[in-house]
Amino acid sequence: MTTIVDDLQRAVSQHQDKPALVHGDNSLSYSELWTLAEKVATLLRQQGLERGGRVVLIIENSPEYAALYYGVLLAGGVVVALNTAAKEDELNNWIAHAGATFGFAKPAVLNCKSSEPAKIFLIRRIDEGTQLIVSLDKISSMDIHLQSCEINENDLAAIIYTSGTTGEPKGVMLSHKNLAANMASIREYLPIEADDRVLNVLPFYYSYGNSVLHTNLGVGATIVMENSMMFPAKVVESMQNHEVTAFYGVASTYAILLSRAKLENYNLSSMRYVTQAGGPMPPAHIEQIMCAIPQSKFFMMYGQTEATARLGYIPAELINKKLGSAGKAIPGVELEIRDNNGHPVPYGTEGEIYAKGENIMQGYWKNPEMTQEILNTGWLRTGDIAKMDEDGYIYMTGRRTDMIKSGANRISPKEIEEKLAELEDIEESAAIGIRDDILGQAIKVYIVKKEGSDILKQTVMKHCKKNLAPYKIPKEVEFIEQLPKTASGKLQRFKLIER
Amino acid sequence: MSVEQKVRLYILENFLFTDDETALNSADSFLEKGILDSTGILEVIYFLEDDFGIKVDDEDMVPENLDSVNNIVKFIGTKTQAA
Repeated sequence: MTTIVDDLQRAVSQHQDKPALVHGDNSLSYSELWTLAEKVATLLRQQGLERGGRVVLIIENSPEYAALYYGVLLAGGVVVALNTAAKEDELNNWIAHAGATFGFAKPAVLNCKSSEPAKIFLIRRIDEGTQLIVSLDKISSMDIHLQSCEINENDLAAIIYTSGTTGEPKGVMLSHKNLAANMASIREYLPIEADDRVLNVLPFYYSYGNSVLHTNLGVGATIVMENSMMFPAKVVESMQNHEVTAFYGVASTYAILLSRAKLENYNLSSMRYVTQAGGPMPPAHIEQIMCAIPQSKFFMMYGQTEATARLGYIPAELINKKLGSAGKAIPGVELEIRDNNGHPVPYGTEGEIYAKGENIMQGYWKNPEMTQEILNTGWLRTGDIAKMDEDGYIYMTGRRTDMIKSGANRISPKEIEEKLAELEDIEESAAIGIRDDILGQAIKVYIVKKEGSDILKQTVMKHCKKNLAPYKIPKEVEFIEQLPKTASGKLQRFKLIER
Repeated sequence: MSVEQKVRLYILENFLFTDDETALNSADSFLEKGILDSTGILEVIYFLEDDFGIKVDDEDMVPENLDSVNNIVKFIGTKTQAA
């Protein structure tokens, strides 16, 4: 089996001086990327990183992110890339759960004192806190060479945390085989080529962005980064200036582009294909994008972090015929719809999507019970409810879990409810996802006040904004007399959704 | 209250949740400092349209106009003059 490290090494040998990653004025060629990754790996080994040791990355998308990712893998380590928008206590929770000794982060993120708070440092976690070892700038200028470390396909390569501030963090364990299999499948159905110039706005710490990074670097393409959709015109300008050939987004990315950037004013004639994943996209938006970039192919895709990234897709030529579908299984993956007893159901019947393939995760880190619950049949229970047509295309009808999907983020309602419970004036609360034109879903919380309390919405919002990552902040707050519950006192969240 | 003070206060209260004036420099990039994201900027636009009576067009949504307190103050000045 060839790992993603092997793929990169091959790309490096073929495209040495070509830009691999570009972010504004900052870039790394393929040979620079590889050299830096080797230096990072050597340093980690010198510092005592053992095979299978977890290394956190708390770094925004940048050329260096990729070098650090591959550096950790080259050292035999496991990459734990964390959400850079998370609050400090959330980051500390994940780091502790992963048992990570080393990491790369800016000192300010972990509240470390440093005269260079904005630089990336190799850090070591010690009992007393976090120790800064050396800045990435210094690592870059070191003259060190790697003693190669053999990678086994079943070795763990990455842990991706999908949720969890309190309670049980869900760390998806991906092996080298998982990553290699899924990246190879994606390259089978997407027309990824060495000549591509890809514009990426997706965070690399999530599975979708992670797949964009590795599928493209593995063939020698150039990834141009824009790290925010805050200024959509800047993103489209970058597409035009770099003569970008491919673009990846979630539904909210396209909603923002369509509502806030005049695509028709730009020359996007170099675009060969665009993709969408991470939750349903309104068919009207798909049609508008296809009108705005008519020569470009449009790929609708479906996936989960538990499947490394990708499970399904609609071939570009069938996008109109299968509009509304999440797609059929990608190469190397089997999808089935099953009933509550785990038995396959006939075409057209609603049930849960089960998935099988070499891309399915090894389980949840340090959580055998949750792993057993979701992988016990040898298939992955996705939690997505859908029907399948006779051509094998799935049509989503709902979710088995209460998770809220907002933009590219999966949010557990409990995370918000637990944070609200910290307010003394709140008796109880329930968070749900409500329809949002830009994000797909936004968060709404229903709150029951304590008797006699006159707590205001502003107080609730202020508490949320102070203590929750931006993507977890409710858009709407409503006070109600009581939450709908069963006779046994279990919250009936669906009744709130139906309101 | 000057335009700059008003904008600063809005950002401090709504995105940094503090009244500590030193938490924000008027030249700080909202994007680079992670103060705003793609939905936060829309909230800022609603604030500018409501409180300053200006119209923020799609082509105005560029860092030069909106990516710091200083840029916003300059932008409001230009928009108000043009009106």
